[in-house]
Amino acid sequence: MNEESKIIHTYTKDILIPIIKRAKTFLEDEMNIDVFNISDITCPKNIHLKKNTVMIGTSGSIKLIITLGFDDMLLDKLVDVFIGDDDIEDANLEEVKNSVACEITNTIIGNAIDNPIDKSNIYITPPVLIYKAKTIEKNKDSKFVFVTFITKYGEIELTAVGPKEQFENELDFK
Amino acid sequence: MLNILIVDDSLAIRIKMKNYLKRLGHSIVGEAKDGREAVQMYKELTPDLITMDISMPIMNGVDSLSQIMKISQLNANVIMITANGQDGIVKDALKLGAKGFILKPVSEEKLQDSIGRIFSEYSSADCDQLDENDLDDVF
Repeated sequence: MNEESKIIHTYTKDILIPIIKRAKTFLEDEMNIDVFNISDITCPKNIHLKKNTVMIGTSGSIKLIITLGFDDMLLDKLVDVFIGDDDIEDANLEEVKNSVACEITNTIIGNAIDNPIDKSNIYITPPVLIYKAKTIEKNKDSKFVFVTFITKYGEIELTAVGPKEQFENELDFK
Repeated sequence: MLNILIVDDSLAIRIKMKNYLKRLGHSIVGEAKDGREAVQMYKELTPDLITMDISMPIMNGVDSLSQIMKISQLNANVIMITANGQDGIVKDALKLGAKGFILKPVSEEKLQDSIGRIFSEYSSADCDQLDENDLDDVF
């Protein structure tokens, strides 16, 4: 491992921990939805993305793809809270639902992201919604990190995918 | 009452922004879904104020801000809206001429405060023009 990748992998958890913490505070403080439990963080060989999954990429000195997948009932609840009393035309309901999922993902990741390496900017891509459930296999050069947030309305699954050398072998997310 | 152009690729955010701004007594003259549309609509509508998302497809908010500032000879009033509050990104936008920024999630109070910093007649409290030094208090 060269010096540059040593530096990168040491800091990867410093990127992910704030995202996990922000996801919890966003749900609880902004959406009034209690998070009962956050699962242990695992590094699976493949991941199954839910049908309501939003993907955001980072660029700069940290390169990751981060996804948040929402259970249907939880997303419906998030839409209700997000929209509140605002009138939505029936024709726009599906697009609003999709854009709420994207906006929540964008806010959680955007609020949490910071560059622990050199404080240079990390840019995030516009969120992209994956409409259909999908299974992705890990290849030899990549690594998945997976964690689940559990609420009474269902789960949110967070996945981070990146080059293997960016991740520590033993992830200690305490 | 200000004539405002809302720029955001998210329909949900455009709906929220429109309702917040209407409740604050302003008029929405247009909505753009990306930075390129925003430049075109700015030329056509010359709004008093633009709320500009940063992360958008086709053309992002910073590039759009840059073009609008050239067209307006730095006279356009633009508030940047972003989830990504890293110092460098916000400072870059302020250097290009943005008059303010709001860190998502957006609220009516944040909008009122930010508008009041640019247009003193809409200020809800004593607040000065935002500049880069204010970032030290924000982050």
